[in-house]
Amino acid sequence: MAAGRADRKPNANAAVSSGTRSIDLLPSAGVLLLLLGWPPVAAPADIYLRVFGLACFYGALALAWNLVALTGLLSLGHAAFFGMGAYGAALADHYWQLPPFAAIGIGAILGAAYGGLWMATFRRLRGAAFALATLASVEIPKVIIDNWDAFTFGSLGVVGISRLPTLDLGGRVLDFGTSLTAQYYLLLLFLVVVGGFHFAALHSRWGWAIRAVREDETAAAALGVNVPAVRAQALLLSALLTALGGGLYAHLMGLIEPPLVFSLHLSALPLVLTIFGGRYRAFGPVLGALVLYPADQLLFHRWLPSGHALLYGLVIVIALLFCPRGIAAWLSWNRRSAWKSKTSG
Amino acid sequence: MWLQLLVNAFSLGSFYALIALGFALIFGVTHAFNLAHGELIILSGYLAYSLNVGLGVPFWGVFPPCMLVLMALMAALHGLLRLVKEPFELNSLVLTFGLALVLQNLMLWGFGADYKLLAAGGSAFNPSWLPVTVTRTQLVLIVLSLVGTAAVYLLLTRTYLGKALRATIQQREAARLAGIQVQRMSLAAFGMGGLLIGLAGPLFGRNAYLHPAGGTEATLIAIIITIFAGVGKIRGILIGGWLLGLVESFTAWLVGGSWRELVSAVILIVLLLKWPQGVLTGNRTRTLP
Repeated sequence: MAAGRADRKPNANAAVSSGTRSIDLLPSAGVLLLLLGWPPVAAPADIYLRVFGLACFYGALALAWNLVALTGLLSLGHAAFFGMGAYGAALADHYWQLPPFAAIGIGAILGAAYGGLWMATFRRLRGAAFALATLASVEIPKVIIDNWDAFTFGSLGVVGISRLPTLDLGGRVLDFGTSLTAQYYLLLLFLVVVGGFHFAALHSRWGWAIRAVREDETAAAALGVNVPAVRAQALLLSALLTALGGGLYAHLMGLIEPPLVFSLHLSALPLVLTIFGGRYRAFGPVLGALVLYPADQLLFHRWLPSGHALLYGLVIVIALLFCPRGIAAWLSWNRRSAWKSKTSG
Repeated sequence: MWLQLLVNAFSLGSFYALIALGFALIFGVTHAFNLAHGELIILSGYLAYSLNVGLGVPFWGVFPPCMLVLMALMAALHGLLRLVKEPFELNSLVLTFGLALVLQNLMLWGFGADYKLLAAGGSAFNPSWLPVTVTRTQLVLIVLSLVGTAAVYLLLTRTYLGKALRATIQQREAARLAGIQVQRMSLAAFGMGGLLIGLAGPLFGRNAYLHPAGGTEATLIAIIITIFAGVGKIRGILIGGWLLGLVESFTAWLVGGSWRELVSAVILIVLLLKWPQGVLTGNRTRTLP
């Protein structure tokens, strides 16, 4: 975005990230310990396990989405990867009866392939043009799947997707199919895996390259950063992880249909959670998910059974206007360290 | 057969031009991407439905209240967007995306997920000398869309306000230097956009089913035509609307209506990749942010 570059002031607060890894490491570790430890201690009711498990899940999707956003590109179409992953896994399960985790892998590869297609097609788009192109590109797989009745069952969706298997780890049985506790820890594991990549995207050599690409492509290229490669890595990884989430979702829920897995809501949710939580902190998107999703499901849903997703729309508007750095910035003891709000590179 | 297809495309295309007109005007003057455009049209449609079915207001009577309410809403949106920080294009995109979610859910809560249609009365128009049928809805669509477009065209070309608006579209800074109050022009653009959205809503509800998630398609149509025509080019918008109407009618006839969204999405992506500055504008300096 050439126009944006002219008005950028040198930002004295920008020096954060790699040098001060600890400002992210400690809160991240704290959040993780809390998430690991509370079920045995609190022995929660089923609904809390389910809601917080899904909060971890959407937190992971937000982190995966942010991998692309950190390179300075705003995607409004991650539902495409999610849906491809879900349909890849569901159809592999239906036609070839693959074991669930292998089917999820197939879905993830399919999603990554679509990410590769984005990368090849949209490589010259930036800013609003990229956002609009991604928004439109969700419709393509959605309409094809919706109409290809013979193979994908069209708008009826795929039903009866097999449940996740039971693992026997040396006497400790993990029944992912039915036990909510096991499912919670599986979703937490998913969050930790995505979180690891996200942490690396902020605090590693690769992370510095990503930041350079976001702040100024030309300067980054002049410093020897391979700009297309960095963008491609982030986008492919993001697509793969989002599609992995889609496959997981299909096996957890047992049924999927095009409007459900290609919904605008799924594209919007990572954006909301990330902006609300904090875009430039390793744990920001997770924090957003852990606050907003339970608030939506446990509180808001009761007042407003239909249309409860209103909350997310309101949160984007309010966060963008009044708190563009996200709530993670409030937790930071070094306020100057939070970056100025910038989405575009 | 072919003639009938053309008539359908003409009525649909005129309506598409009307949908795009408000969006293009606002984008041209303020550079704000209003992703809630379609949702606002649906909202106006629901308002018309409530007036028409709930209170028994005749179809022609729903236009003034719809247009006024939407104008007020758009003025409020203008105030909200003034608070947005840089980079404006992208942040306005995200903000209106959030607003679209809010509106969708409000409508889901207020009107339910059922499909609603404004009752279409009156008989079809069957000229004896041509083998086509023009339904009353199509006639209403064509007439009102063209009247709305013509009104905006006259306003932009024949009045002082229109001149100032066009100046702001062409060169914001130069317009400011020439003494044009750019903020006031933005408000005027939002107000006019609101009037056009208010006009389009009842027509939308008469042409197709109203449901809370239906706005996305209208937003996509508006974006496609705006990118196709470039901003502030009313003839371009009309041509774009008719072409899109033709392509969609033809697709619907060839492979079925369910593939329409795919065609719009592909057209949008191709336009963004190939001609981000607008196909019809000769102006190569103006690119999409």
